[in-house]
Amino acid sequence: MCGIAGILFKHDTPELTTGKALINMLDGCQHRGPDSTGFALYEAAHTGQLRLRFFVGEDEETDDSIQRIRQALAEHHATIVEEEVIGNNYRAIVDFTGNLQKFSYAIEHAAKVISIGASLEIVKDVGSADDVDKRYEVNKFQGSHGLGHVRLATESDVKPEASHPFWATGFADIAIVHNGQITNYWKMRRRLERRGFEFTTDNDSELIAVYLADKLSQGITLKAALRTSIDDLDGTFSFLVSTANEIGYAKDRLAAKPMVMYENEDLVAVASEEVSLNRLFPGQALQTKEPLPGTYATWSRSI
Amino acid sequence: MVTIDLAQIPVRDANEQIRNYGEAGEDVEVINPDARHHIGVGLTSPISVHVKGSAGYFCAGLTDQATFYIDNNVGWGLGDNIYSGTVVVGGNAGAIPAIGIRGAEIIIKGNMGSRAGQVMKAGTLLCAGNANFMAGYMLYGGRIIILGDSGERVGEDMTGGEIFVGGKVQDLGSDAKLTDMTEAEHDSVREFLDRYEIPFKGNFQKIVNAGQKLRYGSPERQMRSIPFFTFSGASPYWNPKVQEDIHIKSQSGRYRIRGYGTARALPHLSDLAFAKDLSRINDSADVISKVHMYTEIGGLNGANPLKLSMPVMVSPMSYGALSRSTKHAIGLASAMSDIAENTGEGGMSDAQRSAAKQLIFQCLGGRLGWNIHDMKRADGLEIYISQGAKPGLGGQLMAKKVTKELADIRGIPAGIDLRSPSRHPDILGADDLVIKVEEFREATGYRLPVSVKLGAGRVRDDIKIAVKDGFDFIELDGMQGSTGAGSSEVIDFVGIPTLAAIIEAEEALAEIGRRQDTQIVLMGGMRDGVDAIKGLCLGADAIGFGTSVIIAGGCIACMQCHVGQCVTGIATQDPNHEKRYKPEIEAQNIHRFFESVRWQIAAITHALGYDDVRQLNRGDLVALTPEAAAITGLPYRPVGSESQSEVLAS
Ligand SMILES: Cc1cc2nc3c(=O)[nH]c(=O)nc-3n(C[C@H](O)[C@H](O)[C@H](O)COP(=O)(O)O)c2cc1C
Repeated sequence: MCGIAGILFKHDTPELTTGKALINMLDGCQHRGPDSTGFALYEAAHTGQLRLRFFVGEDEETDDSIQRIRQALAEHHATIVEEEVIGNNYRAIVDFTGNLQKFSYAIEHAAKVISIGASLEIVKDVGSADDVDKRYEVNKFQGSHGLGHVRLATESDVKPEASHPFWATGFADIAIVHNGQITNYWKMRRRLERRGFEFTTDNDSELIAVYLADKLSQGITLKAALRTSIDDLDGTFSFLVSTANEIGYAKDRLAAKPMVMYENEDLVAVASEEVSLNRLFPGQALQTKEPLPGTYATWSRSI
Repeated sequence: MVTIDLAQIPVRDANEQIRNYGEAGEDVEVINPDARHHIGVGLTSPISVHVKGSAGYFCAGLTDQATFYIDNNVGWGLGDNIYSGTVVVGGNAGAIPAIGIRGAEIIIKGNMGSRAGQVMKAGTLLCAGNANFMAGYMLYGGRIIILGDSGERVGEDMTGGEIFVGGKVQDLGSDAKLTDMTEAEHDSVREFLDRYEIPFKGNFQKIVNAGQKLRYGSPERQMRSIPFFTFSGASPYWNPKVQEDIHIKSQSGRYRIRGYGTARALPHLSDLAFAKDLSRINDSADVISKVHMYTEIGGLNGANPLKLSMPVMVSPMSYGALSRSTKHAIGLASAMSDIAENTGEGGMSDAQRSAAKQLIFQCLGGRLGWNIHDMKRADGLEIYISQGAKPGLGGQLMAKKVTKELADIRGIPAGIDLRSPSRHPDILGADDLVIKVEEFREATGYRLPVSVKLGAGRVRDDIKIAVKDGFDFIELDGMQGSTGAGSSEVIDFVGIPTLAAIIEAEEALAEIGRRQDTQIVLMGGMRDGVDAIKGLCLGADAIGFGTSVIIAGGCIACMQCHVGQCVTGIATQDPNHEKRYKPEIEAQNIHRFFESVRWQIAAITHALGYDDVRQLNRGDLVALTPEAAAITGLPYRPVGSESQSEVLAS
């Protein structure tokens, strides 16, 4: 139960304000989810390098966790180029060229991975958009696109790791934010698990990320994966997905969860409520569109 | 014309100002609306409000007589429940525009979102663009005019009203059919379009209810009456109830519908006893004056709380299931005992309002009888999510009880087997619910407590959600709760016992650190002050009584509530039957019952060594059965063990 937001700037301009824009949009719909807030942000990729984020807590065990991560990274031939502790995160940039899925499953067993990607970094924690920005300096993220999410926990706990966005564990740079409830969660999850996929939470939204990543890794386009998701996923959903260079949405056939979008020359913005879109353009009457039930779309960057 | 700038002041202040300007007869223009929610809600004056931009959720909701112009788009729930007035939207509307309206003219120049006109009762909704999924879902009356395409499943489960489609009819919903349009209807639609200067050249197709699902094929028959205690008889296999179930099904060919609660023996408060020796319970002559019982409920967020002379209230019971006279009598009794009464579903009558000193007004998914004027004269507002007897299902009111008068109040066609929707059109999740609660507060100036009624299901999750959604208190109803009508299998087998529900609720509150400030009113099978006090010991802040109130007021527990021929005049809408019911006399009976509850609560609290009901706690109880011990975690002390047996109700 929550509010979602996504933005993609179509062109490279000196001042991309993705972080600021998402903070603003989420602040606009914070009423939909006071428990936690999260962002999927994309920065420039460097060949042969990965960006990693982990939850390491903020207690006596933090140092141990970091030690374990360093060790695991070394074991898997990832060389740390840069590292820092920020909020309850340990963040590292590593040189790595092996198989990412194997690497991330292995690392996953040593620590709580938030995201791994060439350009993706997921920042999420309990509290409001403003709280999370204060701790992690989300406003400094420039990047070309990103997603955001505010959460009202209904079934799982209020914990940083239960907040959105979800990374498609094992698949670089794919993140999703979801509003709704997937009712065939266990059935779908077991199907994917039998095929070797791993899940790190019991949150139904993680399933969407893994489902899409599976399709993409088979060479299916994001668009086609979104199309099949409408039939394959059961329940109520409006979700947004982002990859290294595109964002997309899918909406269930029952139209039970809201979503509004706005597009102009420079950007595409999608949110649960128009009030979030209006945050980007105060005082203006926007020509917005509500996606029809059972539809999907993607936008990619045309640099 | 005055200007209100939403870039400068919050919506809450703006609405206060709009209502004041309304009273002064001054028109208002709202600038920088930026799609904010709740603009103009609760306005009941004939002024015009011009929103210069986009509005968010529930724009113009819960209003009467006003005119709204919104230049651009609106969010979900445009014009929610409007009584009369006009709303013109220049752009698109989100989902459920014109939800539950009782009149008014709503014009959307662009497209509209899904489920337009859901549970609408009267008035006109016009959409110049395309409609979306399930337009006219559960339409009870009024008309929807769509100049573009209909969207899928148009008219799904409509029971009344008409839908006119100028574009393509993509797909008809269940129990909807196409029919011919009369000359008069044609003229009337044209006149409407002309009046709002909307050009349209094409022809219309008309959609109405197909009449397949309005009534059950076979009505419920009146049976020889079996008293409840026989009915819920001893043998688990073949007993009078099972026999009667079979008889009824052999006639109707479908599931049985009945009143009352579960007939199964479930762990309950009677499986608990007091830990302490209460044999000196009668020692004090004037025990009531020695125990502090006054309780305020619902003040958590600054609203005016309900002020109860003891931690007791009447459970919501609908006008519809019960006769007007019965609701009147209960209202009178609640005032005499100085506790709160609750409308239940189906609206508020003048008699009930004037009889009850404190009255909660309940809002259910069908919005049957729900309206801004009665909200304003209520003492509390309540969102019904579900009830213990049939969690997840809506009310059922069989045709016999859906008389002309009752149908008018509810805004529905008379003589249908009414199956109230089990879901709210605008509450599809905890996130929507937050916005709904806020709408009620905005509409009534944050004066009234807003509560939620929850049937025990996934108690732990539901309680946490209710707390997050900002309710002022929670009514938690266990499986032993009764209903006016429900399917017998559901009543017997679906739900969580009251005892388990309160334990889980307490745990949930402890987990999120909100035990101290969250108030729970527990109900479901409360028979006397002894049950009540055990509920209080387990952590409830007040106790709700339903069935015992109607029994005190003359119910003979014949189990025929749904049939509508109630011999005592309680569960009927037939004037000949209702005649037998004497509200003033029954009010005295109900009042005396509540006074017996008061005495029991006071006497036991006193005997336990306390002078305030808030001192009661878990440590005062033990479990008499292994099941109750397992559920509650209380020490297991069966009767005959060294400690005392239960206090008998005096
Ligand atoms: C005749 C009758 C009508 C009822 N109508 C409603 C209603 O409109 N709304 C509601 O929330 N509960 C309704 N209920 C359920 C009661 O509010 C309450 O949950 C239940 O009666 C409590 O249990 P008790 O009857 O064992 O005291 C009704 C119950 C009865 C017996």
